[in-house]
Amino acid sequence: MNEIVFRTEGEGFLSRVYQMIQSVIDQGHGSVALVFLIGVIFGGIVQYTRVDKFEKIAGFAMLKDTIVPKMLFLAVGLSSIGIYFMVDAGVANLHIKPIILPGLIIGGLLFGVAMAILGKCPGTGPVSMAEGRIDVMIGAIGGLLGGLVFTVFYDDIFKPLQGESLGKTIFPNFFEGNEQLSVLIFGASLVLIAILIPKLEMEDAYEDRDDLR
Amino acid sequence: MTDKKANRLSWWMGGILMSLLLLLTISIFGADRPIGASTYVPYIGGIIFNLDPEHYTYLKSINNSGAWEGVMLLGVLFGGFITSVFITKTFRFSLVPSGWKQYKNNSILSRLLWSFFAGFIMIIGARLAGGCTSGHFLSGMSQLAMSAMVFGGVVMISLIITGKIFYNTKGT
Repeated sequence: MNEIVFRTEGEGFLSRVYQMIQSVIDQGHGSVALVFLIGVIFGGIVQYTRVDKFEKIAGFAMLKDTIVPKMLFLAVGLSSIGIYFMVDAGVANLHIKPIILPGLIIGGLLFGVAMAILGKCPGTGPVSMAEGRIDVMIGAIGGLLGGLVFTVFYDDIFKPLQGESLGKTIFPNFFEGNEQLSVLIFGASLVLIAILIPKLEMEDAYEDRDDLR
Repeated sequence: MTDKKANRLSWWMGGILMSLLLLLTISIFGADRPIGASTYVPYIGGIIFNLDPEHYTYLKSINNSGAWEGVMLLGVLFGGFITSVFITKTFRFSLVPSGWKQYKNNSILSRLLWSFFAGFIMIIGARLAGGCTSGHFLSGMSQLAMSAMVFGGVVMISLIITGKIFYNTKGT
């Protein structure tokens, strides 16, 4: 059941890259140029703030650097108010992921361990590769193999392990009648938390040295 | 120059810009979908290992989002490269981060083996949970999804416990 099945038709690597681009054209979630541009800006922000660095992410795991949680909580706080405002105005839709408790808990545990050791996540890792981090490229090879294992054993192991969906509950569901207020309070609290987290920074012996700039 | 830190944006400027990017992406004028950054890994894996997408239910289920994130990934690599070369001037080939040398060890082999292992379980973890820092934390929590809050809480705890156990943070 779990043997690796290769594609047999005469379609090579390039034609599958072409299919990837064609799929983006067909699915109507922005043009190829826009999706690429979103990636460029994402990569640019992550690189320019230097939050892809080991010292920032593993540094947070060691509680010696708080730039990542400060930036993340601020972004989430502002975005939450913005998104619900846009949904109200009819210019955005919610895309909620289901609550699959075993999947979220087991997945979250594995993910946290990996993030502390690698000092990257799947969004910041590619930025680190692009700035020349060879250790992260090795991490990416591990990730590709992890993806392969997940794909091959999905039906037999991983899908049953994820458990049943408990629905797509959102926080405002608990505050019937005061949904908008609950969003505002949530967003404002996260912005406040971002500001209140004490600013700690782990020094990078290479990048923060005197003669670099 | 007198400023000894590498050229970079402050955390609050980064947070505001990331928020604007997410709002643009999720709006109907943008992509009408949130930002995600872990589905691309099994998708690209399917291409690299030349797996037959018709045979695997998982590859079929991620055909659209994997392709979207795959194109975004190309942009991320490009944007990260350009920024590191021209703006922060931090591009350089390196094997072991300075923080690893300070709090773990000086061994290249150790760093590479641990990186491989962490990359492996990171993607299994992200795909089990159905998202990562971008999809769950950034995009999911911004939509106040309870799934994202469960994931975010578990990751925070697991991350900090691992940081405590794995590194020698005392006496430095």
